[in-house]
Amino acid sequence: MNPKTFDVIVSGVGGQGVILASEILGDAALKEGLDVVISEIHGMAHRGGSVVSHVRFGSDMYSPTITEGSADVILGFEPIETLRALKFAHQDTRIIMNSEPIIPVTVSTGAHRYPTLKEVVEQCQTFTKHITVLDAFKIAEEAGSSKTVNIVLLGALAATGLLPVKEENLTQTIKGHVPEKFLKENLNAFDAGKRAVVSK
Amino acid sequence: MLRDPRVLLLDKPGDKHLLLGNEAIARGAVEAGVHVFTMYPGTPASEIGDALAQIADGAGMYVEFSTNEKVGLEVAAGASLAGARSLTAMKMVGLNVASDTLITLAYAGVKAGFVIVSADDPDCFSSQNEQDNRYYALLASIPCLEPSNPQEARDMLLSAFDISEELELPVMVRMVTRVSHTRGIVTFGPIEKRKVGSFVRNPEHLVMVPVNARRRHIALLEKMSLTSKIVEQSPYNRISGTGTLGLITSGVSYNYCLEALRLIGISAQVLKVGTVNPLPIGLISKFLQSVRQAIVVEELEPYLEVQVKAIADDTAKDVKILGKLGGFFPRHGEFSPGIVAAGLSKIVGKAPTLNYEMIVKKAAQADSITPPRPPMLCPGCPHIASFHVIKVAAEGRAVVATDIGCYALGYQPPLSVGDVMISMGASAGMAAGLSKVTTDPVIGVVGDSTFFHASLPGLVNAAYNNHRFVYAVLDNLTTAMTGHQPHPGTGLTATGKVSKRIMIEDLAKACGIDYVRVVDPFQFESAVSTMKEAIHQNGPAVVVFRRPCVEIEPHERAVIEQSVACRRNV
Repeated sequence: MNPKTFDVIVSGVGGQGVILASEILGDAALKEGLDVVISEIHGMAHRGGSVVSHVRFGSDMYSPTITEGSADVILGFEPIETLRALKFAHQDTRIIMNSEPIIPVTVSTGAHRYPTLKEVVEQCQTFTKHITVLDAFKIAEEAGSSKTVNIVLLGALAATGLLPVKEENLTQTIKGHVPEKFLKENLNAFDAGKRAVVSK
Repeated sequence: MLRDPRVLLLDKPGDKHLLLGNEAIARGAVEAGVHVFTMYPGTPASEIGDALAQIADGAGMYVEFSTNEKVGLEVAAGASLAGARSLTAMKMVGLNVASDTLITLAYAGVKAGFVIVSADDPDCFSSQNEQDNRYYALLASIPCLEPSNPQEARDMLLSAFDISEELELPVMVRMVTRVSHTRGIVTFGPIEKRKVGSFVRNPEHLVMVPVNARRRHIALLEKMSLTSKIVEQSPYNRISGTGTLGLITSGVSYNYCLEALRLIGISAQVLKVGTVNPLPIGLISKFLQSVRQAIVVEELEPYLEVQVKAIADDTAKDVKILGKLGGFFPRHGEFSPGIVAAGLSKIVGKAPTLNYEMIVKKAAQADSITPPRPPMLCPGCPHIASFHVIKVAAEGRAVVATDIGCYALGYQPPLSVGDVMISMGASAGMAAGLSKVTTDPVIGVVGDSTFFHASLPGLVNAAYNNHRFVYAVLDNLTTAMTGHQPHPGTGLTATGKVSKRIMIEDLAKACGIDYVRVVDPFQFESAVSTMKEAIHQNGPAVVVFRRPCVEIEPHERAVIEQSVACRRNV
């Protein structure tokens, strides 16, 4: 909760574009002239496992990872991956969560139960009341591609007005990171994510 | 991965770029004028090779993926002796494989700068152990630098080359996951254009028969005493802060210390040790004399703590030194600001503004309704089919020694193929030993890249000593787990050039295995009947399950398939 830094936890499933979203945030902050540190996880975890990335920008920061109980934002790409990231939340943390579950093998084999959305939100509420839930999967699909869930969530984050990064820096960075042929659907996804939050 | 790795070639000193620690190492290699780079891919080191392979031609650098880390270290060391700056990189367990050469190479010494990057993996994010490779520097008597962020990774790599040339010694740079896979702003320096020297014969220095080795050991000790002088002056060992409390730390833990102090709201003098071997003994003594109490903060082993205690015993007996030996910090897993703050606050008796234990407790409630999400094989992965074939053929009775790679995930239900997995290539030897005792069929499972890496001596042993087991080689034509690097069985080099393709089945035969078959795991019935036949052999048998990884890029697949078509299968 250092006022000089802005800490974002990006939490999702391998293959959802967690790292790309983190890189876009980081590069946009670099364009803004801020210092940036991002900590990623590569390797085995990527095979459909949980992936969490720590994005920090501002000044006066050292640790590559965000301190427990100190995130400004948790960008949850999936309900139970949001739960897994809750140890980074505090009472003022803004949680932006995609409501579409990706069922893990431990649930499909019957060993575990997937919690209801209500249960997930209740757990989030034990930490903070600033919670935005959106069906980013559906929004992405409607915007042109279900693969842009990550960009929808970035749009939603931009719409909160919390980010110390100008929106045009974000969209410029998306242009630099996404292949030309997928650019349109990604920019659509960004706008759709923004609208989803504004209309709430 | 950088969108455009050519960024690393920009000759623009002062430019700032957001780079992974591993990419910062790659940039450092370009700036240092490295001529030869080798590696065997392994998380968390792989992106060093991925980046350099893509810019090799532009940098005028020779880049190879070697068959294993020992070979990689040897290739780079040979190039150094011949006068070219060279670099080898590996994950920490790779240094176990390369250590035989490293320890004696330190006696012989090197010529042009030679640096080893070891990337450790505290918390086993993608590894079978969390060993602390700072001990290798101590064991081999070589200098070791430990960066705490990507900028320092670049800076220290350049310094490591200078130290290596000054002392004619291999120098190690020790990374950890949270430096290798941290993206931070890196300021570029100038790119050095370096002339390559030539090999100078000097067998008394380089041929390590006992008479020379004895002398060269003494020479190594003399070089290390010179290194001790260098490290006392090193800008990488520095003190910040004020107070009578002292913190001694290194690498990534330094970052956690600064945030933890802020969390507790106390001040302290912090000694950041950048040269973890040899330690700056004079500086540490002076530091200890300036504080009342010293706390050593380091991930994994009490490497610094034990040595600091020895230094204190000589020069600062009255200073109390606390750390993980006293139980204040864990000896396993990675640190976080919260973990360091919890340990420090126990010692200083002041609670952090953030109640770490309370947060963990509250988060545990959420965890209790959160189903685990283990990594798993991708949809359509040919390994899933191979495991199904193995299970059916062995009628569920087999004891399976598996190996390192994506296919290790096959041990999990519902596949449940894999009873033991220890280290690269160990499947062949372990299967042999299991087969000597158990009456159940024994199956070894190994991937294609791992087969080339370390299983061949085990296979020759199996043929020579007639061990009765089936060696199932799951050949998906790539090193999938670490990011799809090519290997000898793909017929492609690190830089994407077509080269000699080494066939696994040819090698198996050459190892003396009489029963060698190649199957397609998607041809279920014929694969099962081959596997059954293999199980009934009276000696070792090899069955190659060949089908490309679903994640291979289409253009790469086309090249490999063309290469496959040119060869007749066994």
